Amino acid sequence: MVDLAAAGSAVALLAGSLDAWLWVVPGLLIGLVFGAMPGISVSMAMALVLPATLYMEFLPAIIFLTSVYTGAGFGGSVPAVLMNIPGTSSAVATTFDGYPMARAGKHNEALGLALVSSCLGVLGSYIVLFFLVQPIAELVLRIGPFEMAAIAIWGMVLLGSLGGKSLSRGLFAAGIGVLLGTVGMNTAGYLRGTANIPELLDGIPTIPAMVGLLAASQLFGLVNTHFLVEAEEDRQISLSRIVAGGMMTFKHPRTLVRGSMIGALVGAAPGVGSSISNLLSYAEARRASKDRDSFGKGNPEGVIASESANSSSEGGSMATMLALGIPGGGATAILLAAFAMHNVVGGPRFMDQNRDIVYAIILSNFAQAVLLLFVGTAFVYCASSIVRLPLRFLIPCVLVMATMGSFAMEGSIAGPMTLFVFSVLGWLMSSAGYPVAAVVVGLLLGRLIETELLRAWQLAGGDIGEVLNHPWALVIIALMVLSLGFSMWQDSRRRRVEDITAG
Amino acid sequence: MRGAAWRVAWGQLALVTALAAFALAYLVDARTVSLSVNNLLLLQPTAILVLFLWGVIAIGCVSRAPAGEASPAPADWRATLRVVGMVAAFGFFILSLERVGYDIAMVLFVSAALWIGGERRPLVLVLFSLIFTAAAIFGFRALVPYPFPTTLI
Repeated sequence: MVDLAAAGSAVALLAGSLDAWLWVVPGLLIGLVFGAMPGISVSMAMALVLPATLYMEFLPAIIFLTSVYTGAGFGGSVPAVLMNIPGTSSAVATTFDGYPMARAGKHNEALGLALVSSCLGVLGSYIVLFFLVQPIAELVLRIGPFEMAAIAIWGMVLLGSLGGKSLSRGLFAAGIGVLLGTVGMNTAGYLRGTANIPELLDGIPTIPAMVGLLAASQLFGLVNTHFLVEAEEDRQISLSRIVAGGMMTFKHPRTLVRGSMIGALVGAAPGVGSSISNLLSYAEARRASKDRDSFGKGNPEGVIASESANSSSEGGSMATMLALGIPGGGATAILLAAFAMHNVVGGPRFMDQNRDIVYAIILSNFAQAVLLLFVGTAFVYCASSIVRLPLRFLIPCVLVMATMGSFAMEGSIAGPMTLFVFSVLGWLMSSAGYPVAAVVVGLLLGRLIETELLRAWQLAGGDIGEVLNHPWALVIIALMVLSLGFSMWQDSRRRRVEDITAG
Repeated sequence: MRGAAWRVAWGQLALVTALAAFALAYLVDARTVSLSVNNLLLLQPTAILVLFLWGVIAIGCVSRAPAGEASPAPADWRATLRVVGMVAAFGFFILSLERVGYDIAMVLFVSAALWIGGERRPLVLVLFSLIFTAAAIFGFRALVPYPFPTTLI
């Protein structure tokens, strides 16, 4: 599985190239800063630094870009924890428990948790990649519409669980989200729900809608509050508490390993990897927990689950990119562009002929994960000072930044308009006690589920029995049913024990 | 239950009904486009589920309260007014971006939002909004590849 000779050459290659190391810390810092800015995505941060790599050697250029990728991957979690703004769709689940922790004065611990989970997630996924780069790539080729539909349905099951105590409101919000996610032209060419607005042809802009629903709506609710953290003694920025938060990660090794595995495997699926993996990991962590009700109210496990999965998606998407030459998303597409700028063509042939370079990229990512721990700690220490800023200053600044970020995403006024419409919708729904997160998840998964179901339906020629010819899809559905059944059994057992204790 | 009175959560009922109306309108629009399975595979069952849940939630918005039980205390109207003011200011800001330019819209919104948030020092209102706007405009101009209209900067 591991080509030892190539791995040895990779170590020699890295040891002999000072340039490759010089760019790691600047890359991480650039990634962290850009990733933490609402509206600047990982791929945008990488695109901005791409021209700078033109005059570098191939290996330092790729290492620099992967450093930006790693840094930005975690950077997006900082506003998710501190301001409920998921910079990218892969940080959505981080807001569920990270933000409640921050509001409760545990911002230091939440950021420490997120950082260590991210570093371990990156490290874990690259370790998996180091040993299994080829099998993972082969597995990706087997993921067809049936398997993707099964994964998406697994995500759908999560929607109900976001409803908290009121299942009907959770499902209602999720249904509205799924409907909103299908607005526009579907893959079969049918145009629905656009109200003759040309900007909606490709669907509702997801990132501005998501930021509006989760962040802007929350900010409106904070207008009568003075600080993000109300108690003055909780507003401290403490390195020891950040470190203590990071250490808490090790108390939940199962959540961490499960999140990393989900991230590495689902992250390898082109297109949707990281945006769905953090949600699946969160749902699984909640399902497996004995204290399910505390999820969404500041449970550290929620942060670990989300962060370990979204960061390990990087390794998964790199597997697809390196072994198959298929960019799973914007970030890996930019890496492929950097390959092209250096007259290198990614894909199976590159993998076969330059295995030492592939291993060098993977090994340098081990180092990046370790360095991120130190650079990231310094970064979150500075970033967490935001809790000391009075909200009367913070609210307009964040709303303006979110508006400009939405403009940057869409390149037109459609972004800010979407942001506004969805911030009002989010504010109204959260005031009425609806789980806004369910709308966000529905919005993210709606288009994906429709696309994959449609492909599966067309391939099967309308015959539902065709699913029996896709064992992987059946395995995914069986696992989902088993895990749901197990959690229901655990629930009923716990209730019985509670009844006996109370009686 | 004698002497019990019906109590309706009108705000909740209005919101859930408006959202269900959107689902219904969307379903009607999609069915007008085509009745093909390729068009309605996910959309129709989801819309029907939403409409069914509307019924469940709407019934929950109506409850019986024993006679003499006090109605829930109304929220502090000043606090509500501040929130509504912020939402309105943000709406005006978005609508004015292309009309008066991003720079002027930003200065006006930031100072209005500061005022709504309780800031009353004129110097802070003016200086903070000007400095923040300049930083945001120059920063995003360097980062964002698309041009955005400004009037002064």
